[in-house]
Amino acid sequence: MPKRALITGIAGQDGTYLTEMLLAKGYEVFGVLGPCPGAFADRMGQYEGRLHLIEADLTDMASVLAAVETSAPAEVYNFAAQSSVGQSWSDALTTTDINAVGVLRLLEAIRAAAPHARVFQASSAEMFGNAEESPQCETTPIRPESPYAIAKAYAFHLVAAYRKSYGLHASNGVMFNHESPLRSLDFVTRKITDGVARIKLGLMSELRLGNLDSRRDWGFAGDYVDAIWLMLQQDGPDDYVVASGEVHTVREFCEVAFSHVGLDYREHVVVDPAFFRPLDVNIQQGDASKARRVLGWSPKVGFSELVAMMVDADMERLG
Amino acid sequence: MTRALITGITGQDGSYLAELLLDKGYEVFGLVRRASTGSFERIDHLLHKVTLISGDLSDQASLIDAMRQSQPDEVYNLAAQSFVADSWKQSEYTGDVDALGVTRLLEAIRREKPDSRFYQASSSEMFGKVKETPQTESTPFHPRSPYGVAKVYGYYITLNYRESFDIHASNGILFNHESPRRGLEFVTRKITDGAARIKLGMESELRLGNLDASRDWGFAGDYVEMMWRMLQQDEPDDYVVASGETHTVREFCEIAFSRLGLDYEKYVVSDPRFFRPAEVELLHGDSSKAREVLGWEPQVSFRDLVEMMVDSDLARLSR
Repeated sequence: MPKRALITGIAGQDGTYLTEMLLAKGYEVFGVLGPCPGAFADRMGQYEGRLHLIEADLTDMASVLAAVETSAPAEVYNFAAQSSVGQSWSDALTTTDINAVGVLRLLEAIRAAAPHARVFQASSAEMFGNAEESPQCETTPIRPESPYAIAKAYAFHLVAAYRKSYGLHASNGVMFNHESPLRSLDFVTRKITDGVARIKLGLMSELRLGNLDSRRDWGFAGDYVDAIWLMLQQDGPDDYVVASGEVHTVREFCEVAFSHVGLDYREHVVVDPAFFRPLDVNIQQGDASKARRVLGWSPKVGFSELVAMMVDADMERLG
Repeated sequence: MTRALITGITGQDGSYLAELLLDKGYEVFGLVRRASTGSFERIDHLLHKVTLISGDLSDQASLIDAMRQSQPDEVYNLAAQSFVADSWKQSEYTGDVDALGVTRLLEAIRREKPDSRFYQASSSEMFGKVKETPQTESTPFHPRSPYGVAKVYGYYITLNYRESFDIHASNGILFNHESPRRGLEFVTRKITDGAARIKLGMESELRLGNLDASRDWGFAGDYVEMMWRMLQQDEPDDYVVASGETHTVREFCEIAFSRLGLDYEKYVVSDPRFFRPAEVELLHGDSSKAREVLGWEPQVSFRDLVEMMVDSDLARLSR
């Protein structure tokens, strides 16, 4: 019998990559669809029979319990979240209900209906805020600076407490930014590559962005789901930082993206304070040596390659 | 007249704080939940002096109404599912009230009266598996219960609304504080109530959890003074409030029973059913910052506190 996995947020970027990977490995996958399924169903059509979609919502305990009961999973991957940091200030309550208390509901459902399931929680490097040390690793103190990050810190601590209190095989992946052509358009990377393609194709003339000097550690989502899967194949649960270890500014991202289609970003990018966050974290750089050592993980796609892949995908989509 | 809104006014801290503020000439409003059984015994003597407003931290609209009606200069958020042991059994409710509830209240303040000063009852349980001893304002958090996890969330969201929205919001990281008004589910009150019952021949033994658990206990009447002082500062900040002394449950028993001329060893039984799934380690607070900046000295010693509680229970049960 194939191994069964339950994935929340299955139609999102990470859910999609992970689903493809698990189906290729022969898993039977149960997915909880988010509010914006997009092109997920089309993309997954070829796997009919081993992919099942379940209607559930992390804000509704009964539906979460039913999803765990129906899927009887060996592995649970929790990607469902209100995933925009910027929006979390205007939507702190929904963000918390899903990203914090929603994880609690899922853990309670697992405890009740599938206590032997292995659990992955998508924790976020945003929890480190303006970290006192750089790069950040598993022992860096948590100092969240947005409602999004505070909710993610809640979930991180809760996973550790449930692991300790109830012996759940529950692991946190402390994920640094990871991008791909499937990244949604409200994220700066995708906003840039979409903008580059539109400008190149004459659909748009300028691109308005926030702080160009923000520095981030960006990797390729397709590489990061490898690390996620590996975490649940370990004998014991643990917490792992997943990061590229390199940092680049938004400006550098623009430079590479525009020059990939023969344009100069300085002629098209406008800095607009409207996109500045109430509080911004300045530098995030991850140290994934534990994941590399223990899981044997290494990312395959570099920064320039990632940017080029995203620009090409947007050119093809819009062209 | 200065106006204050207290959530959790029917609790131990709420009742002491209401007394303090009334003495200072405040107009006091208290948020109370509708309950089928009365829960006003701690504020019975204040009912004609305070204005009670019906509301609940899990209901956003009720908090907006409460802010609108009371127009407070100071808001003290003391409401919580405050019993650590129950937070494993009612984890979702604990998250809804102790984590999300803080955001709802801050949102109500931001909408209705953003110049209100805000006090958040943070907790030493946030330190959980302590990373250093004694614990100060800069000790990293490692919560171990759903209660501790939710309180960490409340702490950070308070800090975040201070930094993001310029609200005068302070955290008091209070170590255990007890009094004759402590709820009977807390170990200190369970001991003094039990000792008094045994003295009066109403019971023959007292079943407790881990007698070697060590805590930093102070008097609640002393601690509410600190809450008030925090909100009188020009700038909001975070303060540890602690006695700085630690004692074991065993020592508490010793003093309590000997106050009544009894030997605790003849009556106290350690029952593993009362052990927590994950026990916090040595909680020992360093409140030098509060003592320096707020000019605070606790008035009641450990022995005085235990004896005050025993005397009160003996008097209550003898009636």
